[in-house]
Amino acid sequence: MSLLSVQDLAIRFSTGDGTVHAVNNVSFDIAPGEKVALVGESGSGKSQIALSIMGLLAKNAQVSGRILHEGRDLLTLSQDALNKVRAKKIAMIFQDPMSALNPYMRVGRQLTEIVELHEGLGRADARKRAIEAMEAVQIPDAKNRIDAYPHEFSGGMRQRIVIAMALICKPGLILADEPTTALDVTVQAQIMRLLDEIQSELNTAVLLITHDLGVVAGFCDRSMVLYGGRMMETAPTKDLFAAPSHPYTRGLLRAVPNINDAAGELRAIPGSPPNQLRPLTHCPFAARCVDAVEQCRSTLPELTGEATKRACLRPVEALS
Amino acid sequence: MFNYSVRRLLTAVPTILILIVFAFYLMRLAPGGPFTSEKPLPPAVMENVLKRYGMDEPLHMQLFTYIKNIVCCFDFGPSFSQKDRSVNDIIAQGFPVTLTYGFWSAVFVLVLGIPLGIIAALRHNSFWDYLMTGLAIFSQIFPNFVLAPLMVLLFTLSWGLLPGGGWNGGQWQYIVMPAIALGTSYMAGVARLTRGSLLEVLNSPFIRTARAKGLPERTILIRHALKPALLPTLTYMGPVFVYMITGSVFIDVFFSTGGIGQDFIDGAYSRDYSVLLGLAIIYCVLTFSINLVLDLLYAWIDPKVRDSL
Repeated sequence: MSLLSVQDLAIRFSTGDGTVHAVNNVSFDIAPGEKVALVGESGSGKSQIALSIMGLLAKNAQVSGRILHEGRDLLTLSQDALNKVRAKKIAMIFQDPMSALNPYMRVGRQLTEIVELHEGLGRADARKRAIEAMEAVQIPDAKNRIDAYPHEFSGGMRQRIVIAMALICKPGLILADEPTTALDVTVQAQIMRLLDEIQSELNTAVLLITHDLGVVAGFCDRSMVLYGGRMMETAPTKDLFAAPSHPYTRGLLRAVPNINDAAGELRAIPGSPPNQLRPLTHCPFAARCVDAVEQCRSTLPELTGEATKRACLRPVEALS
Repeated sequence: MFNYSVRRLLTAVPTILILIVFAFYLMRLAPGGPFTSEKPLPPAVMENVLKRYGMDEPLHMQLFTYIKNIVCCFDFGPSFSQKDRSVNDIIAQGFPVTLTYGFWSAVFVLVLGIPLGIIAALRHNSFWDYLMTGLAIFSQIFPNFVLAPLMVLLFTLSWGLLPGGGWNGGQWQYIVMPAIALGTSYMAGVARLTRGSLLEVLNSPFIRTARAKGLPERTILIRHALKPALLPTLTYMGPVFVYMITGSVFIDVFFSTGGIGQDFIDGAYSRDYSVLLGLAIIYCVLTFSINLVLDLLYAWIDPKVRDSL
């Protein structure tokens, strides 16, 4: 029984240049307590998927497909019904803690308003919960710091507050959109460890959205690779790293710089991301793929397989 | 914050002194004087008049006496052109008038301008937004010397609803038209400014965070968006408010309200040095106080500013 089931999700944006096909018929499930990574380069549509689950897409977006949560399609919920899901059942951690917090409001208030809204707590109880949440994310001296403003915290501490906001109602699912990208490397490790601890304590499912394969390796049970708004491969993280089955995943893993690499050169995937102004008619990666054959430029492969699912016309054995 | 206010008030003193010195010498540089007339006065009479007003002394002594009288007795001297009236009398009579209609004009600007801006922003790119923006641009470019006669034409001459001028001790019928004529273009400015900055704030990441919390839009607007959205309006209203409560020459002349705007124009024509100086000092003090109030308001809204005080 899955907690969240995304089916055939497509997201398009009408812009002055035409329609941008940001996400193209993506489907996936998240089980309760599962840690899933959604990996992709910028522009691959990974953040838009998270925003569509929260109902926070920009006004010029058109969405189709279904996002099932507790038997209801989140895409068809009314604003009021959706507001009861947000933060209470599905919470989101945003990328940039510098701008995600309201600079004009004490952090305590930004925490208490969530439990006041969703659990009907009074001021005093809400404050107690806020302090607990701040302690849970290991903010020192939470009792006094609760009355501080966001600018009085460091970036890492602010991200902890953003995480505290996400977990304060103990939601079943947390969408973490690049939670460590804006932070120093040392702080990144702390934040990921913290997320891991909280996750195992509350048994919350996490959808981790990132472009950083290092973060994925240490955290997620399962990984999904997105390219050009299309799911390329999904597999248990261990298998994905040990034996990537899709040319794009292979290119991605090869592009991670290795300190033992004598040549010291950066192995980027040649070419540039696809033009998303055209609807997808063939594999979006074909133009950059070393293994592409004629058929790849005319056919759109479906995502198939058991534990490892891949969307590629070429058999694994045939890949270089 | 208290220390900050005291510091600011202390720096006001030298600034006002500098202003007095500058204004004093600048006025004397202008050709003519308060007693210049088409038929020159006989030299003996002129000498007496100058002596009566202390103008026979060297300039720096006159300046010194002027400042001394202000500091020790709050006396801004006699008017040079209006017989037997002191500058204190003139200001005491005119300033309450401009203060009254200026205040109501500012109320009109804020009470109408801010809600209009908010409605336009919330109904972004809808009929109401376009209507509001169109009206705002129209009234912003509509000068008050066109608006005032138009209003008199309609409300006084055609419909006989409001008196076309005068003050009559400040009854509300006499305040309405001056206040609206003075404020309309600023009201439009406030509406457009509020609309623009609220739109920007509503698109900012922390509002998205607030939406992700499941807060209803009304709470988001009131609790999260309004304070930051009003910052630019505050900046804009500072100088506008000073301008309004010190009165407009045009409004005073057109509606015969008898505010200090009228005195300013009369003083300039008749080289009434003391009246002009006294009014300049009022503008200066008001600008200072309003800016201080504004800065304190900023600090109230923005905790970062508060920390730097």
